[in-house]
Amino acid sequence: MPYVHWSDDLDTGIPVIDNQHKRIVEYINRLCEAVEGQATREQVHEVLDQVVDYTLTHFAFEEEMLEIVEYPDLEQHRKSHEAFSQRIRQYQQDFAEGHDVASELGETLRDWLMNHIRKDDHEYGHMVRDWMHAHAPNGVLQD
Amino acid sequence: MAHMEWTSDLDTGIEVIDNQHKRIVDYINELHHAIENSDRDEVGDVINQLIDYTQSHFTFEEEMMEEAGYPFLRAHQRVHGLFIRRVETFKEQFENGEDIARELHTVLKTWLVNHIKHDDADYAELVRQHTGADTAHNRGLFSKLFGR
Repeated sequence: MPYVHWSDDLDTGIPVIDNQHKRIVEYINRLCEAVEGQATREQVHEVLDQVVDYTLTHFAFEEEMLEIVEYPDLEQHRKSHEAFSQRIRQYQQDFAEGHDVASELGETLRDWLMNHIRKDDHEYGHMVRDWMHAHAPNGVLQD
Repeated sequence: MAHMEWTSDLDTGIEVIDNQHKRIVDYINELHHAIENSDRDEVGDVINQLIDYTQSHFTFEEEMMEEAGYPFLRAHQRVHGLFIRRVETFKEQFENGEDIARELHTVLKTWLVNHIKHDDADYAELVRQHTGADTAHNRGLFSKLFGR
């Protein structure tokens, strides 16, 4: 499973979101290392739970942010998060039941998230940045 | 499962917040200690204290963000709310006799580090700017919430 490198085209220009996305990428890479390296099943399980949990928390933060800025396509964005959340929770459950799905989860996370960031998240980037310029005091948006 | 050390990359640069985070780290280590001693009563006590303290800390932090005008306060609050619900579920499982203490310990450690580095970091600069001239007020808020 190839290592994910952060590239500038993944930046949304919203520091808190880019920070969270980078953390998810780190987790995906850690999961890959664990799967391909000498990690025990328990260690893989730990990273797997962490990446799922962090991704779900990130979705919650992002949705709330989009609500604050009154993003018009929020419902669509939320549905897309929900469908993906169900998928990764299913992987988590399958792994806990003894199925060897860690590598598949890593690939799914990588493919889905990179695509989601490049397409769906970029669609709101401009609006959120404009909103921040208009509403946020200094210090939150670093140019 | 190792003892958790405070490292400088966890500093937000807001003294009152760093002190509260350090206290949470102490609780996490107390939980570790209680688990290693196989002291179920102590594990239960630490879980309760940790939830109480963390809730007070969240309230304090949210008020501080609000005063500083942090624009994504509600998003940050939602993350706090999800975490408290999750820890409350662990607490219920523990009270029902399930052996969740080690898993809880791992979740707490990971969550706290992630949250400090990635979510708290976002409001830190704004709050530092806002409170720079107003630390006496924050001490007042601190004693109001924590009684010290």
